[in-house]
Amino acid sequence: MRVLTLLATLFLSTAIAQSYLPPLDPNEDITITFYNYNLASAGLGAQGTQRLIDEFMEANPNVTVEGVGVSSDQMISRIQADVVAGRAPDVAQIVFDDLDFLANGLGITPLEELVAPEELAAHYEGFNPRGLELGRLDGSTYGLAYTFSTPVLWINEDLFRAAGLDPDAPPTTWAAVQAAAQTIQDATDAYGVYVSVFGQFDWMFQSLVLSNSGRVLSEDRSELTFDTPEAIGAVQMLRDLRDAGLKPDLGFNEALEAFLTGNLAMYVQTSAVQSYLLSASQGVFELGAAKLPAFGDKPVQPTNSGSALFILTDDPMKQRAAWELMKFATSERGYTIITTEIGYLPLRPAIVRDPAYLGDWVAANPIVEPNLAQLENLSPWVPFPGPNYKQMALLMMAAVEEAVFGDAPVADVMLDAHERASALMPR
Amino acid sequence: MPALITIGVWIYKPLVQTFQLATYEWNLLPFSPKVFVGLTNFERLLTLPDMQQAAWNTVLYIVGTLPFSVFLPLAIALVTEDLHPRWRATYRALIFIPMIVPPVVASVVWRWLLHPTNGVVNLTLQNGFGLDPISFFRDTNIAIGSIIFISGWKLIGFATLIFAAAIANVDRTLLEAAQLDGANRWQSITRITLPLISPTLLFMALLSVLLSAQWSFAYINVLTQGGPRGATTNLYYLLWQYGFGTFAVGWSSAAGVILFVAFGLLAWVGLALIRRYSFYDA
Amino acid sequence: MTADTPRRRTRPNVVGHASLLALSLLSVFPIYWMIATSVRPTNELLTSSLVPSALTWEHYRYMWDAIPMDSMLVTTFLMSVAITVTQLLTSLLAAYAFARWSFPGGRILFGLFALTWLVPFQVTMIPNYVLLSNLRWLDTLWALVVPQTASAFAILLLYQSVNAFPRDLLDAARIDGANSWSTLWRVLVPNLRAPLATLAILLFISSWNEYFWPLLVTRDIERSVVQIGLQMFLTSEGNLWGPMMAGATVASLPILVLYIVLQRQVVESFMKSGLR
Repeated sequence: MRVLTLLATLFLSTAIAQSYLPPLDPNEDITITFYNYNLASAGLGAQGTQRLIDEFMEANPNVTVEGVGVSSDQMISRIQADVVAGRAPDVAQIVFDDLDFLANGLGITPLEELVAPEELAAHYEGFNPRGLELGRLDGSTYGLAYTFSTPVLWINEDLFRAAGLDPDAPPTTWAAVQAAAQTIQDATDAYGVYVSVFGQFDWMFQSLVLSNSGRVLSEDRSELTFDTPEAIGAVQMLRDLRDAGLKPDLGFNEALEAFLTGNLAMYVQTSAVQSYLLSASQGVFELGAAKLPAFGDKPVQPTNSGSALFILTDDPMKQRAAWELMKFATSERGYTIITTEIGYLPLRPAIVRDPAYLGDWVAANPIVEPNLAQLENLSPWVPFPGPNYKQMALLMMAAVEEAVFGDAPVADVMLDAHERASALMPR
Repeated sequence: MPALITIGVWIYKPLVQTFQLATYEWNLLPFSPKVFVGLTNFERLLTLPDMQQAAWNTVLYIVGTLPFSVFLPLAIALVTEDLHPRWRATYRALIFIPMIVPPVVASVVWRWLLHPTNGVVNLTLQNGFGLDPISFFRDTNIAIGSIIFISGWKLIGFATLIFAAAIANVDRTLLEAAQLDGANRWQSITRITLPLISPTLLFMALLSVLLSAQWSFAYINVLTQGGPRGATTNLYYLLWQYGFGTFAVGWSSAAGVILFVAFGLLAWVGLALIRRYSFYDA
Repeated sequence: MTADTPRRRTRPNVVGHASLLALSLLSVFPIYWMIATSVRPTNELLTSSLVPSALTWEHYRYMWDAIPMDSMLVTTFLMSVAITVTQLLTSLLAAYAFARWSFPGGRILFGLFALTWLVPFQVTMIPNYVLLSNLRWLDTLWALVVPQTASAFAILLLYQSVNAFPRDLLDAARIDGANSWSTLWRVLVPNLRAPLATLAILLFISSWNEYFWPLLVTRDIERSVVQIGLQMFLTSEGNLWGPMMAGATVASLPILVLYIVLQRQVVESFMKSGLR
C-alpha cells in the first residue's frame, strides 16, 4: 500500500510539471557544497553547525554535505568569484542585507518555483510568520530564514545595585536609560551606556529608526527615507546621550571589552554574543538582559541580524538535496541544536516550551527570555536595492557616526548623506 | 625571463581589464547586464565626503611613517654596527621581534595595552601621573598617530634589517683607509657609509612613501575602520571600503585605477631620483 | 686586530645602550603580552595585570583541537619556502639582467616591474582566481605559490645590491673566460650573501603572513594556512582571544628560528668581507 502511494506521488510529481523539484532518489548519491560562515570560525558556531550537518547526513545517507567555512563579510565576494569561475556553491548561508543582490543581481530562483505549495505549507507549519518575512522580497521567498539574533540591552547587574537601581526592573525607554546611566555614572566609576550601532551593517540602526516609527527605505523600495524626522530623531537620541556625557566614545571592540571588564553598565548589542558574554562575565559580574528600549510610548520594532539559507545551484537533484538540508536545519530538531549550541533564536515558537526540544534549556537559561519575547514584534532588516547597495549603507552609517560624535547638527549630516546616497539608487 | 612572465600573466593582464571595467556598472556575473557609465564611477569615488580628509591623511601617513622606515632604522643599524657582535646581534634580534607576529595579533595586543578603561598604558597614566585616560583610537587628533605608531613599530625591524645588510656590504677597506687618514667615526659615516648605501636609503624612502598607506591598512581595519569620523582613513582604505569591499566591479576598478595613477606618478619621480643618484660607482 | 678597534667598540656609550634598550623593550613588551595572554585563565584575559595569576595550557589545547594546526603549519611552511626560493631566483636573474646589460626597452621594462607595487591586490584577485579555477589548481599548493613567483620588491632590492657590486670584479671574471651564468653563481652570489639572506627573511615572513589570497583559493581547512586558522578565532559570536594568542605564539616561532639562522649569514658574510 505504502509503495503504491509512493509510486503514485512519484508519478504525479513528475507528471504535473517539471517545475517542481524531483524527490531524492535513494539509489543515487549526491554531494552538495554548503558555504557557511559559522564553519569559518573555531568556536561554538562551527561545532553546532557541524553537528547539524552530521545529523542531516545520518538521516539522508545518500546525500553528502561538504561544509565550507567562508566568513560572513567575504561570503558574497567569494560567491561572486565562484560564479565567474563556474564553481558556485549549491547552498549558502548569507546575511540578509544581500537579499536584493541575490534576488535581482544573481537572479536566484525563489522557493515558490522550486517547491510545491503543499510541501512549502507543510514546512512553514509552526514557523514564526515574521521570521518567514525576512527572506522575502516583492512577494517571493528567496531565502529561508536560518540563524538570527535581535538587539538586546545587556546589563551589568552589579553596577545597577551599586548605584541603588533595581536590576530586575531595567529601563524600558530611552529616557529611562538616560536617567539610569546618569545615576550609575554619578555613583560609580563606570560608563553609563553604549549602543553598538556603528559599523558596516545597519540592522541595529534600522531597529532604532523603526522603533521611532520611521523607515530607512520606503515601502515600495524606491526611495531612501533616512532623512525623515523619525530617522533623524533616532540619531538625535544617541547624540543626546553623548552630549550628556553618558555614552563614551569607544570603538566597537573597546566597548565590548569595557563591558566585559565591568567598566560599562548598559550595552546594547546583538543577542548573538550571549554565550560569549555569559562565559566571559563569569566571576567578573552578574549579567542581565532586557528588551530593546522604546522611544516614549511608540512600539518597539526590533530587526534582526543574521542570515538565511539560499539555494544557488541549478541542478534539480542538488536543489532537492539543498532544500532537504534547509528543511532539516530549520526543523524543530535543527533549531534545538542552533539555539542550544550556538545561541541563535529559534524561529519555531512551539518548541520553546516543549520539553522534547528547548523547554528545559530555556528554563535553565532565563536570560534568553527578552530575546525570545522580541520575536513577537520582529521587523525585517530591509536590504538596500540595486548594484550600489553596499555603498549606500556605508554612506548612511558613516553619517550616523558623524552625527553622533561630531559637532555639526544631526539633521545637516543626515540630510547630506541622504542626498549622496539617493544618487546611487537604481533608476 | 620567468619573472617577466609571472608578472605579465598575474598582474598586468588583470590590470588592463581593470581599466576597461572601470567605465561600467556591472557585478561581474556573466548573465547580468553590463551598463556603460563612462566616468561616473570615478566621479562618485572622487567626490566621496571623506575624500579630502583621506587625501590629507595619506600625506600624514607618508610623512609619519618615514621616521620609522628610514631615520630610526638607519640610526639603529649604524649604532649597532659599532657594537660588539654579540650585542649587535641581540639588539637587532630584539628590535626585529615585532616582525614575527601577525598584524591582526599585533593590532589586538596594542588595543588592549592602549584601552581607555583597562589598558596598561592608561592605567599607568592615571595611577602614576594622575592624568585622564587617553582614548588612543577615538580621539580625532590622536587616533592617526596611534595607527602610524603601531604600523611603524612593526616596520622598524624590517627596515633595520635592510639597512644592516647594505652597511655590511660596504667595502671595509674604504673605511679602514679613511680611518688611517684620520677621519673620525662621524666623518666616515657621512663621507663613506651614507653615500655608499644611498641607493638603499632612497629605495626604502620610496618604498615607504608609496606603501605607507597600504602598510597601515591591516591596523586601520582592525582598530578603527577609518574612524573616528574619518580621522584615520586614507586613500587606500577609503577606496578599499567603497570599491573593493563591495562587488560592484566598476567601483573597485575605478578605485584601482585611481590608486595606480596617483602612486604611479609618485613612483616615477622617485625612480628618476634613484637612477640619478645611483651612478656613484662608475 | 687593529689598535683602534677597542676604542670604536666602547664609543656607543651609555646613551646608545640606554636608547637601544628602551627600543628593545618597546619591541618586546607587546610580544610578552601576547604570550602572557596565551597562558592566562579565561576570565583574566582582559585584565591589565602584568603577570598571569596562574598558568594554564587550556588555550593551547583548545587551539589544537579546534583547528588543524599541524597540517596548517606544514602547508604554510611549504608555501613560504616555495615562494621564497622562487622569488629569490627570479629576482636574482632579473636584477642581474637589468644591472648588467642595457637592452632596448630595458628601462621601460624596469619601470613596468616597479609599477606592479602599485596594483592593489583586489584588482588582480578575481581574474587570477578564474584562471586558477580553469587550470584546476584550486585547493593545491600550486594555487598558493604560482601567482607569486616574482615580486617587484625583491627585484628592486637586489638590483640595488647588484648595481653596487664593483663592475671590475665582474669584468675580471669575464676576462678569465667565465660566461655570464657562471659569473652570476661564482662571483656575484657568494658576495651577495647578506642581501640575499635579508631578502629571504623578508620574503618568508610576508608569505608566512599571507591571508587574503590563501583564503580565496583554499576551501579545505586541512589544506589551509596558519593565518586563516588564527582568524577563525575571531567569530561573530565573540572572539576567542586565548586560543588565538596561543595559535599566534606557535605560528611566530618558525619565523624566529629562521631569523636567527639567516641573520648569522648576514653577520658571517660581513666577517669574511670585512678585514678585522
